[in-house]
Amino acid sequence: MIDVRGLGKRFGRVQAIDDISFGAADGRITALLGPNGAGKSTTLRILATVLKPDAGSARIDGHEIGTEDDAVRRQIGVLPHRPGLYDRLTARENIAYFGALHGMRGERLEHRIDDLVRHFDMSDFAHRRVAGFSQGQRIKVALARALVHDPRNVLLDEPTNGLDVMATRALRESVLALKAEGRCVVFSSHVMQEVASLCEDVIIIGAGRVRFAGTLTELLEVSGKADLEEAFIRLIGPSAA
Amino acid sequence: MNQFLVVLTKECRDNVRDRRTILASFSLAVLGPALFIGLMTFVLNTTLGEAREAFRLAVVGGEHAPTLLNHLRRHNVTVAEVELADPQQAVRDGTESLVLVIDADYGERYRQGQVNALTLIHDSARFGTARRDLMLAREMIQSYGRKLGVLRLQLRGVDPTLTTPLRVVEVDTATPAARALTILATLPYLLVLVIFMGGFYLAIDATAGEREHGSLEPLLSQPVSRIALVLGKIGAASVFSAISLLLFLASLAASLPLAPFHRVGMSLQIGFAECAAIFAVAVPLIVLGAALLTVVASFARTYKEAQTYLTIVILVPTLPLIITQMLDLRPTTMLMLLPSFSQASLITRIIEGSALPWAHVAASVAATAVAAAALIWLAVALYRRERLLG
Repeated sequence: MIDVRGLGKRFGRVQAIDDISFGAADGRITALLGPNGAGKSTTLRILATVLKPDAGSARIDGHEIGTEDDAVRRQIGVLPHRPGLYDRLTARENIAYFGALHGMRGERLEHRIDDLVRHFDMSDFAHRRVAGFSQGQRIKVALARALVHDPRNVLLDEPTNGLDVMATRALRESVLALKAEGRCVVFSSHVMQEVASLCEDVIIIGAGRVRFAGTLTELLEVSGKADLEEAFIRLIGPSAA
Repeated sequence: MNQFLVVLTKECRDNVRDRRTILASFSLAVLGPALFIGLMTFVLNTTLGEAREAFRLAVVGGEHAPTLLNHLRRHNVTVAEVELADPQQAVRDGTESLVLVIDADYGERYRQGQVNALTLIHDSARFGTARRDLMLAREMIQSYGRKLGVLRLQLRGVDPTLTTPLRVVEVDTATPAARALTILATLPYLLVLVIFMGGFYLAIDATAGEREHGSLEPLLSQPVSRIALVLGKIGAASVFSAISLLLFLASLAASLPLAPFHRVGMSLQIGFAECAAIFAVAVPLIVLGAALLTVVASFARTYKEAQTYLTIVILVPTLPLIITQMLDLRPTTMLMLLPSFSQASLITRIIEGSALPWAHVAASVAATAVAAAALIWLAVALYRRERLLG
């Protein structure tokens, strides 16, 4: 469960996000929707403890970001904007590295990786070095790596970027499975259709501020539009146009 | 502790699989001694050659000056009378290395007691013994000329010593062995360089490389203490540096017997005990080097940028060596506080086989360890800053 209150972050003279507040519940997929540069990544990077907020606070399963970073890091699995795998390690070794950093060892780690390899259908390439993997294969490995320690909360930063239809579908199924397992999934995207087909809760961010927070159905009601895209464009306002 | 080992193992495994990194990290260590021994052999052979070895002198027009040629032959010069249309061209294209040209009117001017000009043609851009041969030939011709002058003065009833009011006697105390040892003094430079080269590419890959490939961000969101992370990376670079040094020592121990030290009555060999001592003395420098490379590479955004910075950094450890050598400083306990110089001086002693002053060893280890700890602290501070992600 993620609870964000009044987050603010500026880089030099640019106010990247300002007074961002929202909640993301367990067993649900929450979308962070917004155009490029709206502040989705900055928000997720703060939740992933790699950036420190200038204002506001965020709690993940009750642990405060900034003061309890190690506890937070144990509760989250992060798929950043770029997968960031080690090309000279095999898929299994990439996953095992992060597992070991979480204190997993020996059989327990091996079994966990076996499960992930099966779950993400990676047995064909699990023992191959990552160099030369397709974008879809990379995302699978990166997602498995993010889940190796079985985190309750999963942060996905535009995971479908650069994926073909088949890979996108596989990823969508994986995300739905995470939800079914009762995890709290936060998913950033700038693609309306993707959000509509996956998420029940939507946070729309435009120019660093929350423009809307609620369910998909509420979104259509509030905007008074039947078309999601129209609703989206109306909400993010003229500043993004 | 566990996380430290996890990071260290991963960095080592990752880099061992990169053929270019392995090649670049260890080629100097393996090939350096061969280069060094080659240079050593060359110097020994050329300096020893001064012990009046015969050399060939091509002479054009030798028939005009038979007494001069006899003088040269008596001084162990292999005189070769040749016919050359263009003696300068012969030297330029290398068929002759030294040519003496005697003009056709030499005999006539000689009889009339006039000054005779002789031409020595040589190529100063050439390596090897040509320079030494030139000096010897010049010296012999001049000594012949002096002899002639003395005779001419005596014939006229003048005391020949009138023309030489001064006489310089040079005494060179350097033995060929000592000259060989000046070359040996460059060995510590090479050794320090080998240590730094060993960790060079791993340090870049583990810092700037990781940032460039986008793997730093997911790594930093893992519950790993920044101290364990930084120590793991510096530890991995230290492992590579240590391997580089060990390869160098093995290669040196294997190739030292090939240098002709026996010709100068020296026996220079390093065995297992010396290698172990050199390694032990170098350990703090290995860690210091790895920490220095890691800190500097952490400032770079890309692999290429880091490479540029580190190429400059790698000169830093040679500075104390150059400066102290220029100032001709004797190693004192105070100077042992200077990293890289202290190791170089201790290692020189080990190679020479002289005893190690324990105060020097203690000062060297302590000072270098403190410097390494300071750099590690700096690296940890860098990894705690979010700007590291760029």
